[in-house]
Amino acid sequence: MAAGGGGGGAAAGRAYSFKVVLLGEGCVGKTSLVLRYCENKFNDKHITTLQASFLTKKLNIGGKRVNLAIWDTAGQERFHALGPIYYRDSNGAILVYDITDEDSFQKEGVEVLSHLITYRLNSVTKNVKNWVKELRKMLGNEICLCIVGNKIDLEKERHVSIQEAESYAESVGAKHYHTSAKQNKGIEELFLDLCKRMIETAQVDERAKGNGSSQPGAARRGVQIIDDEPQAQSGGGGCCSSG
Amino acid sequence: MSLKSERRGIHVDQSELLCKKGCGYYGNPAWQGFCSKCWREEYHKARQKQIQEDWELAERLQREEEEAFASSQSSQGAQSLTFSKFEEKKTNEKTRKVTTVKKFFSASSRVGSKKAEIQETKAPSPSINRQTSIETDRVSKEFIEFLKTFHKTGQEIYKQTKMFLEAMHYKRDLSIEEQSECTQDFYQNVAERMQTRGKVPPERVEKIMDQIEKYIMTRLYKYVFCPETTDDEKKDLAIQKRIRALHWVTPQMLCVPVNEEIPEVSDMVVKAITDIIEMDSKRVPRDKLACITKCSKHIFNAIKITKNEPASADDFLPTLIYIVLKGNPPRLQSNIQYITRFCNPSRLMTGEDGYYFTNLCCAVAFIEKLDAQSLNLSQEDFDRYMSGQTSPRKQESENWSPDACLGVKQMYKNLDLLSQLNERQERIMNEAKKLEKDLIDWTDGIAKEVQDIVEKYPLEIKPPNQSLAAIDSENVENDKLPPPLQPQVYAG
Repeated sequence: MAAGGGGGGAAAGRAYSFKVVLLGEGCVGKTSLVLRYCENKFNDKHITTLQASFLTKKLNIGGKRVNLAIWDTAGQERFHALGPIYYRDSNGAILVYDITDEDSFQKEGVEVLSHLITYRLNSVTKNVKNWVKELRKMLGNEICLCIVGNKIDLEKERHVSIQEAESYAESVGAKHYHTSAKQNKGIEELFLDLCKRMIETAQVDERAKGNGSSQPGAARRGVQIIDDEPQAQSGGGGCCSSG
Repeated sequence: MSLKSERRGIHVDQSELLCKKGCGYYGNPAWQGFCSKCWREEYHKARQKQIQEDWELAERLQREEEEAFASSQSSQGAQSLTFSKFEEKKTNEKTRKVTTVKKFFSASSRVGSKKAEIQETKAPSPSINRQTSIETDRVSKEFIEFLKTFHKTGQEIYKQTKMFLEAMHYKRDLSIEEQSECTQDFYQNVAERMQTRGKVPPERVEKIMDQIEKYIMTRLYKYVFCPETTDDEKKDLAIQKRIRALHWVTPQMLCVPVNEEIPEVSDMVVKAITDIIEMDSKRVPRDKLACITKCSKHIFNAIKITKNEPASADDFLPTLIYIVLKGNPPRLQSNIQYITRFCNPSRLMTGEDGYYFTNLCCAVAFIEKLDAQSLNLSQEDFDRYMSGQTSPRKQESENWSPDACLGVKQMYKNLDLLSQLNERQERIMNEAKKLEKDLIDWTDGIAKEVQDIVEKYPLEIKPPNQSLAAIDSENVENDKLPPPLQPQVYAG
């Protein structure tokens, strides 16, 4: 009962806020990708946009309002170690590589992803106290991973095989997409799909934490604090949702 | 008669219908007999009085509590029994008050009262209210003024914040992490309550939360910023020293896409540095974040002017690192820790401010771990620069000390330029003089040459018919000619 109400509240009244990090080497077209998505611009000569490193977009997916914040990350190799600082709290990660550049795929795949995965593992295996703290930052979410082969307008010069990329994505639990920022192909689909997956994950999270919490973000706190007064109620809620 | 009594059952006197205040309009029992206008006035007055009273009550409690502390300390032996009784009474009164408002303030206050017992024996720390500076006073007034616009919800919020501050007062001896936890719980709790009970729309909740943060953090600042129990200060000094040791890092090494030769760009760089340094002077986490955001915007502008395209993170982060290295902002680690611990988390998690803050954290992490490889230098070069044996700047013929302040550097640069200009002007003057001389020499030379030529080939103008006359003139060979034949007369 309580869990259902919470989910409904999030769907009807409150908008979901998702943070998505954008990872990828220097010239794979991260900037073009987000600028195309958020402002529908590509190599615009009269650029009014000041920056393309933090962009937001409001969506409405099946009546659910979503506020998307896209965080660009520095792709240079010297900054790779800083990744975890960026990933914190993110609901989704988009890993972009250039289909004409084998290197951009290899590095993407091996370095960044292994980084992400070990980070997730680390946060789980750390001792409980740290883990709880980490959880507050992470809010218990699973990161939805997307691997994106950009520049499909240059199909002729493709150096990364589709099969290799897709099977790799599957092996790490990510979804693979093909895009072209130049021709505006596959970008809407990419973000829409990602949002749907993030909503799903958020709903699963809510249900898992359930028991009377009404806010996706506030679950842990909600439970901890509210137990002061409606002790009986939260017990009843647990009962209800289990039955 | 009967008619009259019948009527009486439903009859209401005209005067009873009118507004109690006598303004001439009709009143309404739901508004306690006032008309709508007068009721609103009355209600508003009452509400303001209530808020004022609450405030005073909280102040009084604070004072009493302090007295109680002070006396409990000084009265170890000699103080009279009656006084301690009196004190007990007050404590009771206080705890009673606590329980009545307890429902507004759940877990934390419970912990708070428990802690209070423990703290009773300890030396009293100065009260929050006692040491109010002018600024905290101003902020409190603004906060109360702000809450007045929110009717009943505002009142409730005020009570909650007051209770929270009181609870925090007792928690001062806890670790900073626990205090941060309490604050975060409080933010979450208040926001949730406003949305679920007060039915306040999300945008307004955000506004109120900002005000609450401002109010409580102005008060808590001096106790929770860079507390002695942590090694924040040590870290501050470490990073400061580190940045100083890295003074030799050039924009080229970091691949900063900013060209400081352009005056507009160097202006932006200076502004960005000013902003990041200014962060330390702010008390509220949100204001500190605003400084970082302002700094970031200036960086974006600098990149935009240099590259003429929107800045990506690939451009932004190196520039931010460069700005931090150049600015060496005071108490950098303390500020970062303070923001992480006490900022309203919803702002830090997904907002734009959060993004820039995260980048600042990255910049600091990068500076801490920076090595030869991350600057594309050889290990030997890196070591030499670090030890101060050589400086890459020296090679650029800038032999003034690198830690001179920016203005002095600029002055030196300008002086340099001026002397160069001077030199050039002198050269031009010399050349001009030379040119003048050349010109004079040239004319002289020409004149002389002409003279020579003229002298050499004097031009004699002969009378025009001289040659014609010559024909008729005495011919030299005339004598050799036979004399002209004379006519001869023959006698015949």
